Amino acid sequence: MSDLSIFEQEIAKLIVQALKLKVDPSAIEPEAALFNEGLGLDSIDALELALAISQTYGYQLKSSDPDIKANFSSLRALSRAIEKHRTK
Amino acid sequence: MVDAPLIGPYQPDDRLAWEIDGPRTAGQLLSEVVRLADSLPECPTVLNLLSSRYEFLIGFFAAVLRRQVTLLPQSHASDTLRQIAKEYGARYCLTNPEHPIDGIPCVGLPPPSPSQWFEKVPSIPLSQVVAIAFTSGSTGTPTPNRKTWGALISVAQATAIRFGVNGGDSRSVVATVPHQHMFGLEASVMLPIQQGLVMHAGRPLFPEDVRTALEAVPGKAVLVTTPFHLRACVAAPVKLPPMGMILSATAPLSRELARQVELKFRAPVQEIFGFAEAGSVASRRTVETDDWLPLDGIMLGQEGPDWTIRAKYLPYPVRFPDRVSVHDDGTFRVLGRAEDQVAVAGHRASLGDLNRTLLEIEGVSDGAFFTPDAQEDSVTRLMAFVVAPGKTEQDIQQALRTRIDPVFLPRPLVFVPRLPRNETGKLPREALRDLAERCMRRGTRDDA
Repeated sequence: MSDLSIFEQEIAKLIVQALKLKVDPSAIEPEAALFNEGLGLDSIDALELALAISQTYGYQLKSSDPDIKANFSSLRALSRAIEKHRTK
Repeated sequence: MVDAPLIGPYQPDDRLAWEIDGPRTAGQLLSEVVRLADSLPECPTVLNLLSSRYEFLIGFFAAVLRRQVTLLPQSHASDTLRQIAKEYGARYCLTNPEHPIDGIPCVGLPPPSPSQWFEKVPSIPLSQVVAIAFTSGSTGTPTPNRKTWGALISVAQATAIRFGVNGGDSRSVVATVPHQHMFGLEASVMLPIQQGLVMHAGRPLFPEDVRTALEAVPGKAVLVTTPFHLRACVAAPVKLPPMGMILSATAPLSRELARQVELKFRAPVQEIFGFAEAGSVASRRTVETDDWLPLDGIMLGQEGPDWTIRAKYLPYPVRFPDRVSVHDDGTFRVLGRAEDQVAVAGHRASLGDLNRTLLEIEGVSDGAFFTPDAQEDSVTRLMAFVVAPGKTEQDIQQALRTRIDPVFLPRPLVFVPRLPRNETGKLPREALRDLAERCMRRGTRDDA
C-alpha cells in the first residue's frame, strides 16, 4: 500500500471510476503526473474528471484559474485543491 | 465566380476576433496576415499548430496568400508530424514557442503591428488548394484530403444559409473544438470569418470556461461544440448567458441530451453530419428528427451498393463512412458505422491501421484493438489486447504514443497469453467481445 491519506484514497477512487481506468486506486503514486506521461490522461479526461469533481464536491474547475495546471499535476495536488474549494 | 475574398463583409474597424485580452479588428487581421506572408520561408506546405484560433487564422491566411498549403494532421503525435512534414515538404511549422516539434524549424508570429487597410481585400482563386486534412488511411500512412478555397467557402455559405447565421442576431462564434479539425475549421473559423461575425480565439474546456467565453463576446453567440462538452455543461450548475444557437458534431448527440441542452441554453441545437473527406454534409435539429437534411449543394448518389456524396467542390464522389438509408425526400438516416471504422472524440481511424501499428511494435507477437459498445454522449475509449512476453504496459503505451493519435491509446491495454483466433487465423468480433467482458469482470474483482 502507498502512503495515501484517506481523502487522497477517496479522490484516487473517483479518478479510477470516472475515467474507467483499470488500475488499483491505492497504486496511484500521490506525487506522480496524472496527465501525459504518468497516468496518460488527456483533455477529454480532464473534462470527465471535472464533471465528477463538480458533482461530488461542488467545485467548478476553470482554465483561467492560475493554479489549474498545478492542481491537476498530481493526485496529492488535486486532493488538496478539492479539499480547499469543496462546497459539499 | 472564380475567386472569393479572404474575409466576409467587415469594415476596417469591425471586430473580427476576440482574443484573451480583447477584440481584434478586421484591419488588424489583414495587416498581420500580409506582414507574416511577407516573412514566410519559400515552401509548398506548412504545419500550423498554433493554439489560439486567431493566431491560427493569421498563419492560415498568410499561407493562403503565399499559395502554401496548410497541413492539418489528425494526430499531433511527434512521429506523425515529422512523417507528414517530410512527405509533403513542410520545412517549417507555425507553433507556439512553448510547444516546439523536434526536427521541424518553428516560425513564430511577428509582434502585433498597427492596423492598415487595403483598397481591396485580397481574393483567392476558388480552385486553389488551401489545406490538407489528414485521416487515418488504410495503408497505415495518413490519407490526404485536399481542400480548395472554393470547398471551404461553399460549406461556410451553405451552413450560414441553413441556420440563418449572417451577423444579424448571432454575432459571435465560440468553439470548444480544435480549429485543426475539419469541423472546427469549417464551423469555428470559416463560418464566422466569411459571415462577418466575431470569432472567439480560445478553446474553452470546462463549463466555467464556456460561460466566461460566452459572456466575453459581443451579441448572442453560436456555440460550436460536441455532445461530450454539452453533457458537461448540462450537468454543471453554471448559468449561461442567452445564446443564438448550438452546433454539435463529431459524435451522435442523443435526443435526451439535446432536449436538456435546449432547455438549459434556451437555444436550438443543430447537429452537423460530416467527415474529413467531404466536410460538413447535412444537418438536423436533434430534438425533432433522426433524419439528416443535406446542405445546399450536396447531392447523394449511388455507386453499386454504396451511397456517395457529390458536390461541385469535391473532385470526385465520396463514399459515406457509415451505412445510410436515403429517403425519397432527399433526407437520410445513419444506420451504423461501416465495418472497420472507429471514431473517438471526433477522430476516425480504421481498426486495421491501429492493429497494424500495434503489431509493428518490437516485442509484440500478436495484438488487436477492440471497440466496446458506445455509451451515449460520452467518449468511448478503445481497448487493446496484446501478446508481448517480457514487455510492460508502459513499453507498449509509450511506443503507441509516438505513432497514433493519443485519443486512440487503448484503455485498458490488456496482456493476454494468446488471442482467441479461429482456425483460419481470423479474430471474430464476438470472441473479442467475450474476452473483453471477461477482462472487465476480472478487473472489477482485482480492484475490490
